[in-house]
Amino acid sequence: MPYHLFKCSECIPEREKHAVIKGPGETLADALPLGYLNTIPGTISERGCAYCGAKHVIGTPMKDVIHLSHGPVGCTYDTWQTKRYISDNDNFQLKYTFATDMKEKHIVFGAEKLLKQTIIDSFKAVPHIKHMTIYQTCASALIGDDINAIAQEVMEEMPDVDIFVCNSPGFGGPSQSGGHHKINIAWINQKVGTFEPEITSDYVINYVGEYNIQGDQEVMQDYFKRMGIQVLSTFTGNGSYDGLRGMHLAHLNVLECARSAEYICNELRQRYGTPRLDIDGFGFEPLGTSLRKIGLFFGIEDRAQAIIEEETARWKPELDWYRARLTGKKVCLWPGGSKLWHWAHVIHDEMGVDVVSVYTKFGHQGDMEKGIARCEEGALAIDDPNELEGLEALDMLQPDIIFTGKRPGEVAKKVRVPYLNAHAYHNGPWKGFEGWVRFARDIYNAIYSPIHELSKLDISKDEIPTDKGFVTRRMLSDANLPDKVRNDPNMRPYTGKYDSLVDLRGKTYPTFEPQPVAV
Amino acid sequence: MGDAMRDDVMKDRTEQLVDYIMKKCLWQFHSRAWDRTRQNEGILTRTRQLLCGEPVDISTPEARCYWVDAVCMADAFRARYAWLADMSRDEIAELMQGLHERIEFLTVTGSLNLELTDQKY
Ligand code: SF4
Repeated sequence: MPYHLFKCSECIPEREKHAVIKGPGETLADALPLGYLNTIPGTISERGCAYCGAKHVIGTPMKDVIHLSHGPVGCTYDTWQTKRYISDNDNFQLKYTFATDMKEKHIVFGAEKLLKQTIIDSFKAVPHIKHMTIYQTCASALIGDDINAIAQEVMEEMPDVDIFVCNSPGFGGPSQSGGHHKINIAWINQKVGTFEPEITSDYVINYVGEYNIQGDQEVMQDYFKRMGIQVLSTFTGNGSYDGLRGMHLAHLNVLECARSAEYICNELRQRYGTPRLDIDGFGFEPLGTSLRKIGLFFGIEDRAQAIIEEETARWKPELDWYRARLTGKKVCLWPGGSKLWHWAHVIHDEMGVDVVSVYTKFGHQGDMEKGIARCEEGALAIDDPNELEGLEALDMLQPDIIFTGKRPGEVAKKVRVPYLNAHAYHNGPWKGFEGWVRFARDIYNAIYSPIHELSKLDISKDEIPTDKGFVTRRMLSDANLPDKVRNDPNMRPYTGKYDSLVDLRGKTYPTFEPQPVAV
Repeated sequence: MGDAMRDDVMKDRTEQLVDYIMKKCLWQFHSRAWDRTRQNEGILTRTRQLLCGEPVDISTPEARCYWVDAVCMADAFRARYAWLADMSRDEIAELMQGLHERIEFLTVTGSLNLELTDQKY
């Protein structure tokens, strides 16, 4: 597997070890990009800071919590509302964010008084919320404010509240991934084992590394409930503070995003003996296998099988409709961390697209191992790329679409490559069987958008055709399809609702006769 | 079948199974070397036992968790690789031994992942 040095990075030769092209017959033992290292000076990274990783990715999806940043208001602003981790309590955690708003004078004289007052004021402002997470930032870490001591003082004065302190300042790691690590370990050290939620089923799981982006968690929870499984906690999307304090009571940790949350699963395995089962919630086959594994673990495989059959019959004809129109399209799969391996093989297998490149902003070498193992030969794998490398790769690979974050996504648009938001989604949820069809629909809508056709014309030099009128996506996508495929009665485009979650909230579930406990 | 030819067939079949594991599974990529070795042992041993019709230990939650990955993999191997049905138990055991060694090489001893030897999670 040859390393690849971008032309634009010839002046930063260390970058060469951060990109490889997957060659024929080569294995992971031949070459692997470096990863999770400090960004090389001179390369403008697209990464986030360790505070952002702790707060924005993992902390804030917890739904019944006041999320308070102890630092300048800018840190908070940058981690507020840019992800779409919704919740079933009217999105409290998205609507409100709290900060101590540190100024220069606090840097000089300390900000502990300010912190204490802000904690008290915040609890008073939303009296129905009794939990708080305080996030350290660069500024409050550098001046050495003792956040734990202040939190303890307030908890003694206000016995009905509980506070979690996350000491993960921006500089606490090479990227947001350092913050994922810190908050995982802080949560298990400070909070797991301090609350005992009610156990209502013989089959109890923690669903870990799932952030309820546009409702993903609620979709998966629906499957689990249909199987009679209690989701004791979700770490952390749509998750409750007390549920997460009770993680030690589950029988199984079902781990989705290993990049951001394997640490807590590993620790739960070591400290409480709870096994860790890694799953894929994306794609019909991987999701079906994942549900089957969970069913097998508890001895209720038949319940998983029933869901797989019902959902596949309902949604497969719609996935196939998109597959027929997406086959052979070239994709740059450039997410943050785990989606490079969650999606690399399955969008190829089930939607027919070719992944020509994978990248990760904050992944570790383990993520690259998984991603490279799963993508096809010839793919370009890049660790922590800078913007110029991204542009050079787009020019070299000429993809039909890119799945990435909104910063590189907007750059891609400028070079006329349609983009889908891999972190926050377009019209998600994208997990689950229906979700996977929604993802395919979003890809289809992006690739065949007539606007993109127009954007390829440069009015300063291209001749603008005046003999062509209105076109639709369907006219573009079906132009070269054989009649047999175009009119196939066994395929149809998406027929689900605009909001696929409405029917899930408030749904009633079957009760199952207790079975001999399998574990 | 001559020995060399037989070796080639075994090697080719091992690579087919490796390809399946690399594309479809996640269990082989835990983050530490000792953890990967433990996973490889727990899951590949049980897969071999299932394919050879031997009893499988599922007496603890940990053992059961390995077993679910093994069940799904054994089923997938049977469904995808018709040649498995024509192999004797001893041949399957030999094939699985080779697979175990190859996976251990790719994920542990030959892995270029510098994080594998970190002491802490
Ligand atoms: S790097 Fe420091 S100052 Fe910047 S957003 Fe992160 S915590 Fe705040």
